[in-house]
Amino acid sequence: MKRGIYAKEALTRMSSSARHGATRKHLHQAAASLILCGPAVLLYAGFIVFPAILGFAYSLTDWSGWTTSPNYTGLDNFRELTQDGRFFDAIRFTLFETVLIVVFFSFGSMLLAVLLDKLRILKGLIRGLFFYPYVLSILVSALLFQYMANYREGAVNTLLRAMHLEALAQDWMGDTRLVAYFIFGLVAWNGLGFFTTVYLANLQTIPTELYEAARIDGAGAGRVFTRIQFPMLLPTLTTNSVLALITGINLFPQIVVTTQGGPGWRTFTVGYYIFHLGVLSNRQGYAAAVSFVTFAALVIIAAVQVALLRRREVSL
Amino acid sequence: MMAHSRKRRRFPYLEILLLAVGLLFVSPCFIALLNSFKTLREIVLSPLGVPERLAFENYTYLFTGVRLAKPMANSFLMCIAVIVCLITTAPMAAYSLMRRRMATGKFLRIAFLAGLTIPFQIIMVPLLQEFRMLHIQFSYLALLIHYVSWGLPLCIFIYSGFMSTIPKELEESAAIDGCGPVSTFWRIIFPLLMPCTVTVIIFWGLWIWNDFMQAFIIMGTSKGQLVFVQLWRFLSDKYVKNWNYIFAGVVVLSTPVTILYLLMQRRFIKGLTAGAIK
Repeated sequence: MKRGIYAKEALTRMSSSARHGATRKHLHQAAASLILCGPAVLLYAGFIVFPAILGFAYSLTDWSGWTTSPNYTGLDNFRELTQDGRFFDAIRFTLFETVLIVVFFSFGSMLLAVLLDKLRILKGLIRGLFFYPYVLSILVSALLFQYMANYREGAVNTLLRAMHLEALAQDWMGDTRLVAYFIFGLVAWNGLGFFTTVYLANLQTIPTELYEAARIDGAGAGRVFTRIQFPMLLPTLTTNSVLALITGINLFPQIVVTTQGGPGWRTFTVGYYIFHLGVLSNRQGYAAAVSFVTFAALVIIAAVQVALLRRREVSL
Repeated sequence: MMAHSRKRRRFPYLEILLLAVGLLFVSPCFIALLNSFKTLREIVLSPLGVPERLAFENYTYLFTGVRLAKPMANSFLMCIAVIVCLITTAPMAAYSLMRRRMATGKFLRIAFLAGLTIPFQIIMVPLLQEFRMLHIQFSYLALLIHYVSWGLPLCIFIYSGFMSTIPKELEESAAIDGCGPVSTFWRIIFPLLMPCTVTVIIFWGLWIWNDFMQAFIIMGTSKGQLVFVQLWRFLSDKYVKNWNYIFAGVVVLSTPVTILYLLMQRRFIKGLTAGAIK
């Protein structure tokens, strides 16, 4: 690979020196840019930008599968979207999950990070325990959760029955109300380690002088948190809440491997709805329209969120 | 806080509490490990009990019945291929964009940055159509191309951030010695980017090994002989779940990432959060 690049370079140098002595350096630089940037730009333009544009083009058609050719239908798909009850149900469910996820990953993991930061012994082990689920595949976590939550033979219900708490044993995945928390639990379990670690990294950057000053002033742990740690963690709060927002809005692999939208249409997220339309049914044009509307909404919400949070950040 | 220093050898309430919560937190993993050595009947009857005898046939079935050996090798090779592509193309592009005066440099920087925000659902369906047009649908090549192009924006982002810590004098002296931009990159910059390269290797190795969704969509279940796709296929064509095989599968497929994690926990955590902190 390396040798190939050298050869190409030498070739460029030779030909350019022979023909245009004056512009040799310029050509040389251009060739270097091509070699260095070319592969990345080609892949990115060809397989990210082009499909995105193609997707937008599809959203203006009634394209319905692999073989039929798409017909231009203008904004019909977007018009249909405004009357699609299932789409609005999916939005409602996605937003519900997103709110839970954002609140939990913003504040739950912050609390955990502050507690983990206080550890004197067994630091690495305890942090490692909380981080571990993050390295597991979504499919693995989903299977473990499905097993834990199984009504008849799941570990949670077995444990409850063993403790004679039969009444608390629930059909965690079959109940239309509980299934929302089941999905949330799965996402939370998988991601907690990541979000906590980002906070922990930020906590480590707080200068010790601040803690010492607080100690001299006789501030308790609660005060240290509200006056020092929380304000200093605000930049990470912004990052984490935006990452959590993206996780929430794009939630769909977890649905594919657990409930597949069920029971009924209860756990259709917008992402799963797009997958359902585009991959499982044959409504590619409409799926593209849904995906663009969702993406636009995500960008707007994230921009508002960042603007609101940034204003509260303090600088050292 | 004042009492903090005096009570240095205080009773470790917090440690014990968090250790207990942490163990409870990862308990599903222990349950999976425990149950992978039980027969299906035993799992149903006593899900939390200790196995009567170690049922290793769950594990042997994975390689004789589900035939996971080949998908495991395929996934491993896919990881290597994607990583090799990423750790060559991404730093080259990042170097060119950050350090050399290029006419299109600013535009490309913004374009790659924008790529971080694009969700997979947007390109999912058109990408399948594009691979169809190129006559490489449902192939390993298509998946490789997708993984690499999907990884590029984040990798370029991570490399660009790291690039700013490398002093410019090195390149300048190399240029004076008559070293061209491409050889300057390979001889001087690339070796200095090693910590960043390790991060990328860990991050993407883990991600590609664990990925189920994108491999499933790009390649389907029959052509895509990758571990998690095959595990999924095995699950979806059964009405009754054979939990004993599932647990054995889960344990086997999670072992490589667990070993990697235990060996380099610190690097791991640093690498996985690198993108977020920048």
